[in-house]
Amino acid sequence: MLHQITDQIFNGITLGMLYILVALGLNIILGLMGVINYSHGAFFMLGAYVAYSLAPHVGFFPSILLAAIGIGLLGMAFEALLVRRLYGRLPEYTLLLTFGTALVFEQIVRYVWGDDAVRYPDLPGWLSGSITIGAYAFPVYKDVFLVGMTIAILAVVWFLINRTNMGVIIRAGTRDAEMVQILGINMPLMFTAVFGLGSFLAGLAGALAAPVYAIIPSLASQWVILTFVVVIVGGIGSFWGAVVGGLIIGVLSSLMELVYPPAVELTGFLIMGLILLVRPRGIFGVEGLFE
Amino acid sequence: MTPKARPWLTLLGIAVAFGLLPLVMPGGTLDLYPFAGARFPLHDGFIDLATTTLIFALFALGFNLLFGHTGELSFGHAMFFSLGAYGTALFTKGFDCYVGPMHVAFGGASNAFGALAVALGIVTLWAWFVARLIVPRSSGIYYSMITMAFAQVIYSITFHWGDLTGGEDGIQGIDRPHLPGLPADWLQDATHVFIFTAVIVFVAVALNYWILHSKFGSVLHAIRENKQRAGFLGYDVNKYRVNAFVLSALFPGIAGWLWVYFQQSINPDAGSIDYSGRAVMMSLLGGIGTFVGPMIGAFVYWDLQNRVSGLTKYWPATIGAVFAFFVIVAPGGIAGIAGDLRRYGFATAVRRVFSREARFRSDLADELPVQKSGT
Repeated sequence: MLHQITDQIFNGITLGMLYILVALGLNIILGLMGVINYSHGAFFMLGAYVAYSLAPHVGFFPSILLAAIGIGLLGMAFEALLVRRLYGRLPEYTLLLTFGTALVFEQIVRYVWGDDAVRYPDLPGWLSGSITIGAYAFPVYKDVFLVGMTIAILAVVWFLINRTNMGVIIRAGTRDAEMVQILGINMPLMFTAVFGLGSFLAGLAGALAAPVYAIIPSLASQWVILTFVVVIVGGIGSFWGAVVGGLIIGVLSSLMELVYPPAVELTGFLIMGLILLVRPRGIFGVEGLFE
Repeated sequence: MTPKARPWLTLLGIAVAFGLLPLVMPGGTLDLYPFAGARFPLHDGFIDLATTTLIFALFALGFNLLFGHTGELSFGHAMFFSLGAYGTALFTKGFDCYVGPMHVAFGGASNAFGALAVALGIVTLWAWFVARLIVPRSSGIYYSMITMAFAQVIYSITFHWGDLTGGEDGIQGIDRPHLPGLPADWLQDATHVFIFTAVIVFVAVALNYWILHSKFGSVLHAIRENKQRAGFLGYDVNKYRVNAFVLSALFPGIAGWLWVYFQQSINPDAGSIDYSGRAVMMSLLGGIGTFVGPMIGAFVYWDLQNRVSGLTKYWPATIGAVFAFFVIVAPGGIAGIAGDLRRYGFATAVRRVFSREARFRSDLADELPVQKSGT
């Protein structure tokens, strides 16, 4: 029993890491620009598919990096061509627009890669084994590589937001974009860059998830709603909100597997309901943002 | 200000449009496009398509009571469609399941209006619970995200509670009801199902019209334009928002009830984000600021879907692209464009549709929920 619980906790941490990456990307975009990107799930899915297609040709590690960068560039083009036209209108319209484009992205994936799940090629040898500590065996990819990568990326993003000039501009822009613009910062360029960063994180999470989860076209809508839940639980626009929200939902929904398997999908929503009752802004949420 | 309301003319127009619907659907006698080939008498398929359109028109109309008229975007209204449908299916077919250790069984009954009462009872309870939980705690995009998550709860329950709902496969072989005063097998015919649907949808549309043109409807419009000012005028804004949510949930519930009798089967997809999104897309394509907009949108959606799906299996991409185009270029939808044509004439209307400035100017606000001011 103890063994099962440990297993599920580690599964939950793996899942939580991916939630964190996806939710952080969404959160950065939402916090700075007030754009709620429903296509974020599609970017996650595209990341997985692109990594799957590239892996046999360029090798495992470059495929992850290239997929993430590719999705980041896609996000920048997406912002510059479409999302930009909605600034100054109600934020709801960005949700509507990105819902429409998500349909397009999903059909593109179905056209290119087909309707059925695709199987990721085998991992390189050094990642496919497992490490044994005492009675427990930890798969290297899921429990070591993926978690390590996520923590490293989180550290970089944290540094970028909190310790660089760009971060100062982003954080100031979250409070008052107009004022920052008046100070001589090229905000439209900044918005594009931030959208690119958010999409990069979604693509990266997708590429990292590709070897672990089934890659199917319905991945996009499954993940985007859970990402919304993570953001609501953690608090809109908050770095640590995404981290804590992602971990809580990842671990608790994995543990639900032991308690009552049919309710696994409901766990996140139950937590969201509780958070709404006791702290409607989310754990680290700021009052009055996007009311 | 909106033009003077002319209820009888509007409702008469809607009734005539309902009657003509099977003829103008793709391939119908009055169809203007030569894709499917016009023919008479009508094939059952055209009539079924018209029935589908009417049911979704009602679904979208209910959704738009909230989005277009109260200014709140719910992205989860399919949950009420699904609950109405499952309520009806279980009432008709009966069920036999365990709730924990408790054995619950019901033999089923074929009373159409009994099923409607049960379905709407379930819909009302859930809508009231959701509204009471989220309305005081959220607004704006937060509200949209949370309604989306709540819809996923219903989807997940209908998907995983196999004993009750049949799981992924859903419930099949649901008998159509016997209507009082009509032969027992009256509803077995596609044309009769269409007539039954059209009558019910028309009554519901009239009810919706009455709600929106009552004092209650005016308060909703005030809330859409400016919550704070509506509050200052002494209206309990949150109470009105809760009531609007519950009322707008009833129409998708009725649509779900009709859908089960029409399809004779139901599965969890009815509560999926796809279905919620359809109501959103239909409303916006038709025009969220007007009463008839969502119904026009339902027609356009099914017309387009039917034409494109004949050409490619990737038809959702076309609908998504058309929708995205409308969101960016003409958020007032088809009815919005028609209104501009009537008010400003052709040249100005075209310029307005494509002008960036017009979309930001709040004089569109007399028909659209635009930027909330004063907050």
